[in-house]
Amino acid sequence: MFGFGKKKEKKPQSSAESATAETVLTEERRAELLHAVSVKQAEAADRTGEAQASVQEELGLAFYELGQKEDAITALEASLQAKKSIGPGYKTLLKLYNQKRAEAAKHNDEASLQLYMQKMDGLMQISKDVTRGVK
Amino acid sequence: MGVINFIIDNILTQASVTVALIAMLGLILQKKSVGQTISGSLKTLLGFMVLSAGSAIIVGSLVYFGQIFTEGFNMQGIIPSIEAINGQAMNELGLGRDIALTFLAIFVFNILIARFTRWKYIFLTGQAILWMATMTTVFGYFAGLRGFALIVVGGFIGGVFAVAMPAIAQPFVRKITGMNEIALGHFCTIGYVFEAGVAKIFGEKGEKKKSVEDLKLPPQFEFLQDTYLSLMVVMVPLFIVTAAFAGPEFGATLSGGTNYLMFAFLQSIQFVVGVYVLLAGVRLLLGEIVPAFRGIAMRLVPNAIPALDCPVLFPYSPNAVIVGFITTTIGSIIAMFFLPVFGWAMILPGVLTNFFAGGTAGIFGNAVGGRRGAIIGGIFHGFFITLLPALLVTIFNNMGFVNATATDVDTVAAALLYAWIIGPLMKAF
Repeated sequence: MFGFGKKKEKKPQSSAESATAETVLTEERRAELLHAVSVKQAEAADRTGEAQASVQEELGLAFYELGQKEDAITALEASLQAKKSIGPGYKTLLKLYNQKRAEAAKHNDEASLQLYMQKMDGLMQISKDVTRGVK
Repeated sequence: MGVINFIIDNILTQASVTVALIAMLGLILQKKSVGQTISGSLKTLLGFMVLSAGSAIIVGSLVYFGQIFTEGFNMQGIIPSIEAINGQAMNELGLGRDIALTFLAIFVFNILIARFTRWKYIFLTGQAILWMATMTTVFGYFAGLRGFALIVVGGFIGGVFAVAMPAIAQPFVRKITGMNEIALGHFCTIGYVFEAGVAKIFGEKGEKKKSVEDLKLPPQFEFLQDTYLSLMVVMVPLFIVTAAFAGPEFGATLSGGTNYLMFAFLQSIQFVVGVYVLLAGVRLLLGEIVPAFRGIAMRLVPNAIPALDCPVLFPYSPNAVIVGFITTTIGSIIAMFFLPVFGWAMILPGVLTNFFAGGTAGIFGNAVGGRRGAIIGGIFHGFFITLLPALLVTIFNNMGFVNATATDVDTVAAALLYAWIIGPLMKAF
């Protein structure tokens, strides 16, 4: 009545919940992603510049869906290095850096904490540059 | 005793040295090596001195601009520049030490609030905290606060803003990014929420809502690619047109042997040089303090939500940034002509604020009210972020600031809190 209590339903997922949601993967999807990864890895070696950025981005997103965070970070960083962009790869990388930052804080690991904070600063700069059209 | 007196009278009175000593203390507390401590302290000292040098350049240019504007248009023309306000407050007003201590106090209060309340936001945009510290110190000083009280009250108000602004933006940020793990840490948030409110009233609703992201926009404005180039694009015509209105005779009294228009051109570049130098100083100054704070804050508040600078939202709605920039600029130009009609000073548009604050506000407007929300909301936002700084001009003038006013509206709101509530309350009791 009067819509009271509706607010609770709208409450966003906690990070723990969203992390669980990310890990739920059907066997079919997993096989599909693993196949895509092997194809893209071969492709990435042959490509340069923009094409490589795009392949690495797809690769990074596939790794992310598979829950392989480190591989996802490596691929997405390679993608941004090949070409600055603010697409899905960028957003996923920001999410991953922030997760790494939170883990480092939890484990009192100052060096990793500073590293991921700096990497997040780097992403802010890329966002500024791409929006302003800096090549 | 003589040594202590010498230290108090000659060393601690120097703001640059005090600020360097604060940085040194922070580095020692973090158990940094002797080498790191010395280099960090010296860099901080250097940063403060570079900032001062930048401020002196800006002031020189602003004094000239103020004179030609008054001669040319018979009214005061104010340049919105938080950098110019910070530089003048740190140096000409001698508030450098208090600003630095307030800056640290804001960090401390931010950590305390995030640690002990349910608002877990840690504000990570160091430069924005420096601007907030500047405004709380300047207006706290104006309200009559001195010493410890000035710093603690400034730290508390700044700390509350550092948590409250990301908190009020968060429902919109969740809607825009689809996640709750990252927040927005930019002291223009009141303007963003204002635009969202306007977009809610005038924007498209429900199924009719069309996002600006579906539009095909022309490629980015090339002049925006570089901060200083974009400043020049605005400042050069502004100075030259004003000098032309002031006329050759008056211009010659200021330009010596140089042609008056050429002199105006050079002065406009001087302004940009001043901002360049000042911001280089800010980077040096904050380079040691901010990472230390981040490390401490994140460890003390392990479940913190980091509040990042406004470009964090750009990837989620890049078209809205461009629409926000254009519409905010239109709004600020309308306000520029409208405010003097009612006896206010003329506030000239600030291209950088219009881009970063306007662009982010555009994202809020689009998220709430679609295309129409972003466009109408943006124009209102431009007017709003010009009106608020105009309210501070009289106080800035009384305090001896030269021809500038603040930009980031949250810092302006904090200043108005002092001017309209804390100051009168202090006088009443």
